Amino acid sequence: MTRYILRRVLWGGVLLFVVSALTFVLFDLLPSGDPARLRAGRGASPQAVAHIRHELGLDKPIYTQFYDYVKGIVLHFDLGYSYFSHASVESLIADRLPATVSLAAGAILIWLLVGVSVGIVSAVRRRTLLDRSAMGTALLFISAPEYWLGLLALFLFAADIGKIPVFPGAGSYVALSADPGKWLSSLVLPWLVLAASFAAIYARLLRGSLIEVLGEDYIRTARAKGLSERRVVMRHGVRGAITPLITVLGLDVGTLLGGALLIEVVFDIPGVGRLNYDAITHADFPIVQGTILLAALFIVVANILVDISYAYLDPRVRLR
Amino acid sequence: MKSTSIHGSVRAAGAIAALSLALGLAACGSGSQTVTVALKAGESPAGQQLYNKHRGGVLTVYDHEDFEHFDTGESYAGQDYTVLYAISRPLYSYPPNSANKLSPDVAAAAPTISDGGKTLSVNIRPHIYFGPPVNREVTSADVAYAIERGANPNVACPYFQSYFGDVVGAKSANGGPIAGIQTPSKYTIAFHLTKPTASLLYGALSLPLSSAVPPEFVRPLDAHSPTTYGTEYLVATGPYMLKANSKGKFLGIGYEPGKSATLVRNPSWNPHTDFRPAYLDRIEINIGGEPAVIGQQVLKGQDVVQNDNPAQSIVKEAYEHYPTQITFTPGSGTYYASLNNAHGPFKNVNLRKAVWAALNRDALVKVRGGSLTGQPMTHFLYPGVSGYEQAGGAAGPRVDYNEHPEGDMAIATKYVKLAGYPSGKYTGGETVQVVGATGEPEEGMAQITNHALEQLGFKTHLSLVDKSAMYEKYCTVPAQEIDVCPNAGWVRDFADPQTVLYVPFNGHAIEPEGNSNWSQVNDPQINAAMEKAELVVGEPAHAQAWAKIDEMLVQQAVAAPEIFANIAAIEGHGVVGVNQLWNSGAWDYDFTSLK
Repeated sequence: MTRYILRRVLWGGVLLFVVSALTFVLFDLLPSGDPARLRAGRGASPQAVAHIRHELGLDKPIYTQFYDYVKGIVLHFDLGYSYFSHASVESLIADRLPATVSLAAGAILIWLLVGVSVGIVSAVRRRTLLDRSAMGTALLFISAPEYWLGLLALFLFAADIGKIPVFPGAGSYVALSADPGKWLSSLVLPWLVLAASFAAIYARLLRGSLIEVLGEDYIRTARAKGLSERRVVMRHGVRGAITPLITVLGLDVGTLLGGALLIEVVFDIPGVGRLNYDAITHADFPIVQGTILLAALFIVVANILVDISYAYLDPRVRLR
Repeated sequence: MKSTSIHGSVRAAGAIAALSLALGLAACGSGSQTVTVALKAGESPAGQQLYNKHRGGVLTVYDHEDFEHFDTGESYAGQDYTVLYAISRPLYSYPPNSANKLSPDVAAAAPTISDGGKTLSVNIRPHIYFGPPVNREVTSADVAYAIERGANPNVACPYFQSYFGDVVGAKSANGGPIAGIQTPSKYTIAFHLTKPTASLLYGALSLPLSSAVPPEFVRPLDAHSPTTYGTEYLVATGPYMLKANSKGKFLGIGYEPGKSATLVRNPSWNPHTDFRPAYLDRIEINIGGEPAVIGQQVLKGQDVVQNDNPAQSIVKEAYEHYPTQITFTPGSGTYYASLNNAHGPFKNVNLRKAVWAALNRDALVKVRGGSLTGQPMTHFLYPGVSGYEQAGGAAGPRVDYNEHPEGDMAIATKYVKLAGYPSGKYTGGETVQVVGATGEPEEGMAQITNHALEQLGFKTHLSLVDKSAMYEKYCTVPAQEIDVCPNAGWVRDFADPQTVLYVPFNGHAIEPEGNSNWSQVNDPQINAAMEKAELVVGEPAHAQAWAKIDEMLVQQAVAAPEIFANIAAIEGHGVVGVNQLWNSGAWDYDFTSLK
């Protein structure tokens, strides 16, 4: 097990290096703005732009820039400074991460609760009206674009602009440390919107997987042994059916912690996703690189945790 | 300055502004009753009430985009100016309902121009103080340092050479003392010029660069590359300041990048030296959010305004349902399609005239939001800029390719034939490179321009890229040899027609990178006429000289005109907003109040 984890961590490091290199190359190749010119402002003289380009190290060959960048991370955990605001990338990410974690954690909790419950009920009561209604609704939420759903939720339920003003609207996010009550109320709508499509996907996924598992021989054996149906489904069925969900969950959690861009924009939540979005529009490469690395790191870590959890959830799996 | 941060101007506003200012100053401190007159949609903000309004309260501002610079030496964007003109005071500035009439600000009176226009002298007011942590009186040496640091490579003021380059010693300046800037007394500053361009310099003293900064505080910050003045630390001279700690650091306190900015009263501000009433106690700026949501929050909100341009759907809704909460500011710049005069088919003046004739300017106006948000452009000096009327006013010069804003293919065909293509269609073979910006309305405007080109027989390759890429990698880089950029635009820096025509159309202004002469116009006659017009002193003659140049640009069809822009601005129902006519109708925090 230890060897396995070490191997995965090492591969994770390689992956982060590759992601980092790819981002560097893509940023250089794609038609984005010139950071030096953007930093210099409109109408700046070529001399001023050249000076800024030199100060930012953008006049060095790309491999030298990349070497300096990697060296900074490895030796000092230095992700550099924003071209735009001059703030350190670590401090900007650290400032935005709590909002993203708050958003992701609540949404994950909701979609797991709703998705797993609906999936189990639909699988157990398959082809009933309840099952068809649940799956129909799930399809609706999967099809609805998150951005549109967010706007709809605000126009319906936001306290400032909604038809039925119930929840605080866009821009109401307050940090947990500042006011836990306001933090909770400000995140209810974003959580629900973010969780909607995920809950729908998880419900459909679990339903399909559970139906399959419930047809397995060992389930028939469990029933033959006289176990209650609840125990058969929950103890033996769900445990076997949940593995694909855990795989997807690992990816989703990693991705979300890298920033739930659309939700953060619609609900004006100052998270990592919005930081990345703003950085892209300003060609603020150090922040783009930092946030992408962060997302990649979360995905790598989440996947390692998922793999480890397989061993505990499914007795057939052994990690070597 | 490009159209993304355009400033506005209204010619007729001058007299009204002077009257309002006089009335307002007379009423200042009289304790007279609060009177509020709201504007209805479509009414020009020129008549807005400036004084005798309710004092106090907190204004919330929604701003979809972040600020670029708070440093008076670096800033060159209309959005930044909304904050800068609340926290700093240049030598001269425009009252919000004027675009042409400069008022003395830190200066005590209009400048004295002598030596045939080669010397400009300004007396500054006593008892103006820097805000915390400096808290001392502003002197002429502080103004001199503020301007000199514009040449410091760590500050790199974008317009330093354009407007201060004629000061003796400025061409070789790098942040140290400039020989042509002298401070004979604590309250006097004099500028000695190499050319008689004092009138232009006078206008430029309304730009943020002339706002005093305390050298003892700023010089160590300017040693950093780039300077940390304006990104971490700031000292105010205006009625407000960015909330800061005792050392003047505002980063992370009064400004959180991408999140918020907070303006509070500057305790050192002396209201007796200023024409700004500064009604509000505090201004909370929220950065970010979705434009459609922000628009709704403002229209349905109380003490709230939107700082940047509202979404088109919001403009429509506001006009129909909240007419007292939206204003449209005319004279907010121009939009045009650049045509490459130096390379490719548009070296031929007749083909340029053909594009001008074929382009459906009425459709372009519709795409931008209809007649309230602009009118078909007919020449290059726009409404409110002096010389506009002399150059033909709204109808523009009487040339056949300018007669039909809806597009006239018959006239366009005539010019294609004159260009040497007897069929009336372009048969040159090469593909015309067209680069526009993604997002609306730019994308729609690019499509309309591309359609006009195709109608004329051009084979086109239309690339729609991110706006920053369009600016920085294609349209401002002559080596890319882009034939048409349909999303070009321009706005004046201050009330002088030279600031509208010189940089975008003078051959000497062409740069290998960051070029603002997108059409690469380099006509020796036009260049010479501009150099001559620059030296013409006195308002009617100066305006006439630039109107003549405008006519030459039309005769050469140097670009295809699109729109004279109006800019919309929205406010909550508890706000008595005041728009800056000189700054494309942006909200003026010094004059805006709450009901």
